[in-house]
Amino acid sequence: MISVTPTALSDSPNKLDLNNLSPEQVALNINNLNLHYGNKQALQNISMAIPKGQVTAFIGPSGCGKSTLLRCINRMNDLVDNCKITGEINLHGTNIYDKHVDVAELRRKVGMVFQRPNPFPKTIYENVIYGLRIMGENNRRVLDDAVEKSLRSAALWNEVKDRLHESALGLSGGQQQRLVIARAIAIQPEVLLLDEPTSALDPISTLTIEELINDLKKEFTVVIVTHNMQQAARVSDQTAFMYMGDLIEYSDTNTLFTTPMKKKTEDYITGRYG
Amino acid sequence: MNKWFKSGSPWIWLSAGGVSISLISVLGLLWLIASRGLSYFWPSELYQFNLTDEAGAKQVVIGEIYDREHIPVSQLAHLNLTLPEGQETLERLLIKTGNRELVSLDFRWILSTNITQTTKPETLAVVERRTNGNFYGFIDHIVLDGVEVAQDRLPELVERVEQFQAEIDSLQKSDIGAINYQLERLRLKARKHQLQGELTPELQQSIDDEVAKLESDYRTLEKELMVFRDKIARDQLVMRAMDGQLVTINFENILKVSFNNQLGVFEKTKIFFSQIGAFIVDDPREANTEGGVFPAIFGTVLMVLLMTVIVSPFGVIAAIYLHEYAGKNSLTKLLRIAVINLAGVPSIVYGVFGLGFFVYMVGGSLDQIFYPETLPSPTFGTPGVLWSAITLAILTLPVVIVSTEEGLSRIPSAMRHGSLALGATKAETLWRIILPIASPAIMTGIILAIARAAGEVAPLMLVGVVKMAPNLPLDGNFPFLHLERKFMHLGFHIYDVGFQSPNVEAARPLVYATALLLVSIIVALNMTAVTIRNRLREKYKMLEH
Amino acid sequence: MDNLHMGRHISGQFNEDLERVINNVMHMGGLVEKQLSDALAAVGNNDEELAREVLNNDYQINAYEVSIDDECTRIIAKRQPAAGDLRLIMAIVKTIADLERIGDEAEKIAQVALESFSSKQQDLLLNLDNLGRKVLEFLQATLDAFTRMDVDTAINIHQTDDSINREYEALMRQLMTYMMEDPRSIPQIMTVIWSARALERIGDRSQNICEYIIYFVKGKVVRHTTAEDMKKLK
Repeated sequence: MISVTPTALSDSPNKLDLNNLSPEQVALNINNLNLHYGNKQALQNISMAIPKGQVTAFIGPSGCGKSTLLRCINRMNDLVDNCKITGEINLHGTNIYDKHVDVAELRRKVGMVFQRPNPFPKTIYENVIYGLRIMGENNRRVLDDAVEKSLRSAALWNEVKDRLHESALGLSGGQQQRLVIARAIAIQPEVLLLDEPTSALDPISTLTIEELINDLKKEFTVVIVTHNMQQAARVSDQTAFMYMGDLIEYSDTNTLFTTPMKKKTEDYITGRYG
Repeated sequence: MNKWFKSGSPWIWLSAGGVSISLISVLGLLWLIASRGLSYFWPSELYQFNLTDEAGAKQVVIGEIYDREHIPVSQLAHLNLTLPEGQETLERLLIKTGNRELVSLDFRWILSTNITQTTKPETLAVVERRTNGNFYGFIDHIVLDGVEVAQDRLPELVERVEQFQAEIDSLQKSDIGAINYQLERLRLKARKHQLQGELTPELQQSIDDEVAKLESDYRTLEKELMVFRDKIARDQLVMRAMDGQLVTINFENILKVSFNNQLGVFEKTKIFFSQIGAFIVDDPREANTEGGVFPAIFGTVLMVLLMTVIVSPFGVIAAIYLHEYAGKNSLTKLLRIAVINLAGVPSIVYGVFGLGFFVYMVGGSLDQIFYPETLPSPTFGTPGVLWSAITLAILTLPVVIVSTEEGLSRIPSAMRHGSLALGATKAETLWRIILPIASPAIMTGIILAIARAAGEVAPLMLVGVVKMAPNLPLDGNFPFLHLERKFMHLGFHIYDVGFQSPNVEAARPLVYATALLLVSIIVALNMTAVTIRNRLREKYKMLEH
Repeated sequence: MDNLHMGRHISGQFNEDLERVINNVMHMGGLVEKQLSDALAAVGNNDEELAREVLNNDYQINAYEVSIDDECTRIIAKRQPAAGDLRLIMAIVKTIADLERIGDEAEKIAQVALESFSSKQQDLLLNLDNLGRKVLEFLQATLDAFTRMDVDTAINIHQTDDSINREYEALMRQLMTYMMEDPRSIPQIMTVIWSARALERIGDRSQNICEYIIYFVKGKVVRHTTAEDMKKLK
């Protein structure tokens, strides 16, 4: 007798128990993270483990602290005046907020892509190799290879291979955003932070980026902040719902979007918030 | 009416009116200086006037009509003139008669009522001379090496002199000039060693040998020079002046002889342009009232370029510090206000500061440390092109700082964040991203600085500009660029020619011509900078967010 | 309607859409209930006219099913419902399929009334009537639970399906005896068996609907689970 078990869609094969991840499954470990802007507390006691090689999405209403949390991961909040952070974020067992951590070094390991495409006013080629140049790489062949590889990974190679030495500002918004992603992955980070990467793009460009994110997780751990819940549902493996600086619910995306545990989550994702 | 006000068209008219007024005044200014200045180069007609004055005395006046004006008869009443009935004003002509060796004044007024006949004889010639200004008259005869020859040899002889003169100039300026420079350096070298107590007899001997060698070179050159001098002194031109007197002019003194009344429009145009060319490339003569303004152009451009080279890095660095590194506290605010106020200080104050601080303090100290051998005659302790450039650099520093800061603050933070997120440090971000993007704004600052600096005269009079500089600050003698030298400046040239020259009337067209040139140079400098800025803008065009 | 906490969506339009669908489901349920009770009455009273009415009315149920289906598709396309909303839509889509089948079964029962039965055979119909009344009650309770989205009731109803099954089996044995006694009556008895079978199916489908209610409220799939497991949900 042949037993046929249908592949259950609700249980993805790589479903993880987020509360009991083995150390090698974890990319980032956030422990009791608190963040104050002046007197205002923007993040309250956030603790979560972000698994390696997966897409983790942060959702929540505006001002809930999801972007702030994302920016904590590569210490972009250091640029903000009177921003105080306690708690720790561990990358490879080192707290990135330790005194001896080199921030530039950290940001090479934790790349970031912003809301609006921000290509530098240079050629496409120069944009992609910017990070490598900073690292002192000048070998033409290495740079050429890196450009091709990154642009291929960012699904942009075929569109721009004939005009690598033209200005990046001549690209469309979606292409620019993919270029920015290519630029970020050219330096081979471990974690890629995407801060609402499609909020300035049209729906078709958005889909291309989403498709790209799905490919990227093969190589990188991706953390994405998005306003678009459907997007989080489509691209992520884990979703964290945040509200007023609190992490309300963090579970695998399939569960969160069909049967959330917390009422606040349910209200938010069904559009009853407010 | 009310509706008309509401429609907004009054505002359009008002603003368009403002623009028109500005445009008209700028164009009017340019038109005035261009027309007055350029007419100076146009070969004018030469007239012969036969005059009969009240006493019945007859007189011939030869010259160019320089100006004409109508004066009320009442002003002339005291002259006891017999005036035509019923006329309230009289026309009076200003004639440039030249011939300084005969009459003390180049110009004279004649009343049109006294003119009995006006002719334009074709044989009337104007002789441009190295000294004593123009000579107007008829050519009587030409003496070639003591023998009288035909008049058609004239162009050939003028050209001959011109060639020899060029040889003499080059001998005097480069060869003899170089020898003099070297002699001076040898003298200083000897003195330096003497001051240090190291002047050994051998050294003295070697210096003396070199001096002797140079002096013998000098004598050779001098002989060559004398040969040329003799050559150009060979021929004479004998002219008949308006009163019939014969005047002998040595060919060595002649620059050009022209028969303006024989010239067609085409030839006049040719002469017009060659005169403009000569004005630009020639040295001034006759206490700046004649000849060209090349040293002044050179001095102005060199000083402005030096100033730009000095002010740009300082201004940009200061702006970067203020905008990127300085904490956002009241001290920074105070600094910024101070910088802005610096722009409002009168420029003469900068001149005084430059003289007191740079020339006397810094320059004086430099002299004591590095050039003790030349003392008591100062090297850097005296006004010079370097101090002028630095003084103007301080004067224009606020402009560069303010516009650079403006440019820095316009750069979207996304650019900085993008670079920082790729692992660049703040300095790397500044150097690779921020500065290139801000470069158009920096160029704007430099453009404004150039515009301001090129027009400044007052402070320069204290820190380096002179009426007549013996040497250009750039020449063939090592180290080629002589920053300690004094220089000439177009702005000061205008002031000097217009107000300080012995012959104000003769210099008036020159003032306009020089002003036109100054404006053109500033426009050219600005256009260059604007072109560079537009290129940069195109290159670093921001996305239209 | 407490569990639906309607009226709290930010999008009022979405609320209206959902409410309309739910109301349509209620109407459809009411109609199905009426069809079943009419069919049973027709059989009990041998009312040929009523039976024909039931047969004629079935198209209304089909029309409801199509229109609700349509609306649900539209909501999914336009609103991309998530979590509770998504489960509600899924429950509705499945419920209306079952309701439509129940309607079809009622039609089958009505057919019985059109057959001619001898007086002796009227007893058979009496037995059928008993089973029918129970199933009707069962359906009514289910629809009631659906209206209130009441999990506890749904679980209780789910459990009582067993009693219907027992009744059905008893009726079957009885009919089997009749057939053995009087083979000539087999054609009529077959008809009764078909309708008994239809009633039993209605019970199963009502049970399905209860499962959908539980799925909507609890987010748990209770199909193919044991009764003990289900009790734990309470």
